[in-house]
Amino acid sequence: MSDYDFDRVNVLLAEDSPFIRSLLVNSLKVLGVGNVFAVEHGGDAIHFLQRVKNEPMKIGVQQIDLIISNWDMHPIDGMMFLRWVRRHKDSPDRFTPFVMITSYTEPERVLQAREMGVTEMLAKPFTINGIGEKLISIIERPRQFVHTKDYFGPDRRRMKGDVPGGVERRVLKDKSEGVEIIRG
Amino acid sequence: MASNKPVIVRFYRFQNRLKEKTAGLAPGNTGISREALEAAEQALTKMSEDYPDWVSGLVVKLQEQHGRCVDSPEMRHDCFEEINHIAHDMKGQGGTFGYPLITSFADSLYGFTVKRSGEITDNQIELVKSHLDAMRAVIKGRVSGDGGEIGKKLTDSLNEAIEQYQQTA
Repeated sequence: MSDYDFDRVNVLLAEDSPFIRSLLVNSLKVLGVGNVFAVEHGGDAIHFLQRVKNEPMKIGVQQIDLIISNWDMHPIDGMMFLRWVRRHKDSPDRFTPFVMITSYTEPERVLQAREMGVTEMLAKPFTINGIGEKLISIIERPRQFVHTKDYFGPDRRRMKGDVPGGVERRVLKDKSEGVEIIRG
Repeated sequence: MASNKPVIVRFYRFQNRLKEKTAGLAPGNTGISREALEAAEQALTKMSEDYPDWVSGLVVKLQEQHGRCVDSPEMRHDCFEEINHIAHDMKGQGGTFGYPLITSFADSLYGFTVKRSGEITDNQIELVKSHLDAMRAVIKGRVSGDGGEIGKKLTDSLNEAIEQYQQTA
């Protein structure tokens, strides 16, 4: 097995605690991530992504490959940031994988983030193994994106045959009317 | 052929750009080796050991703000805002790095320095100092976990101070 080469990967990290921020930046660097852009909260992160869209040459990055964000931040928290990335017209890439870091692990909070289109959740306190697993999952098992009238984000069903309650409630197949498939 | 029927769901299926970027197009398994993970975990542990130093740095900053509160009463609202901001930074991760007492003291400090109107009294400034003393004691004695007897003593004396100063605030 050979190691992933993260050297060309651009990560945007939004974390308000300077100490945790430096731990995460260093952990990602030790894993070989080439570029980590660290900001203090969701507002700064949105501003950064706007610059990626509008003046990529100036800030030296064309595309962010992965977003890692804390949930509980002030004034713009991780959920508002996620909503912006997934839904705002100015978002440079609404499909960017988004990892939410949180000490909120109650099921309803996890569900809330999932409905907003989060890609992965990373619980605090985090470990390197935890970060590694999320990276592998994002690289090896990317999910199609689903856009309906009330959801936009990665397919909430991770696996084939992953049917809630054992009953297939999805009535639409690829070839059904009303289904559009976009490849790229 | 394009249909006039409304679209109910769109599925976006893209090439795995991130995989191409990280694993290249070469065949074979790619992953993160155990050695790489262990090296990173060690680096993280080592960084975590710096936590008490980081807190000490913040306590010094708090001390400066406390000094300004004493010397320049007209600056108190600004100082409290700064103290509140620093306390917020501290309260988040004490527990993560083995110092839940720091989290609990910082949380308390954060709570009573939240922005408010009205005068900030000398007693409230004293209360800031009581919090700083308690935090300093935790870091100086490397009082990790709940701190056992010492931890209880520190918590009790801080609570006494809170009670005393709040009654006369």
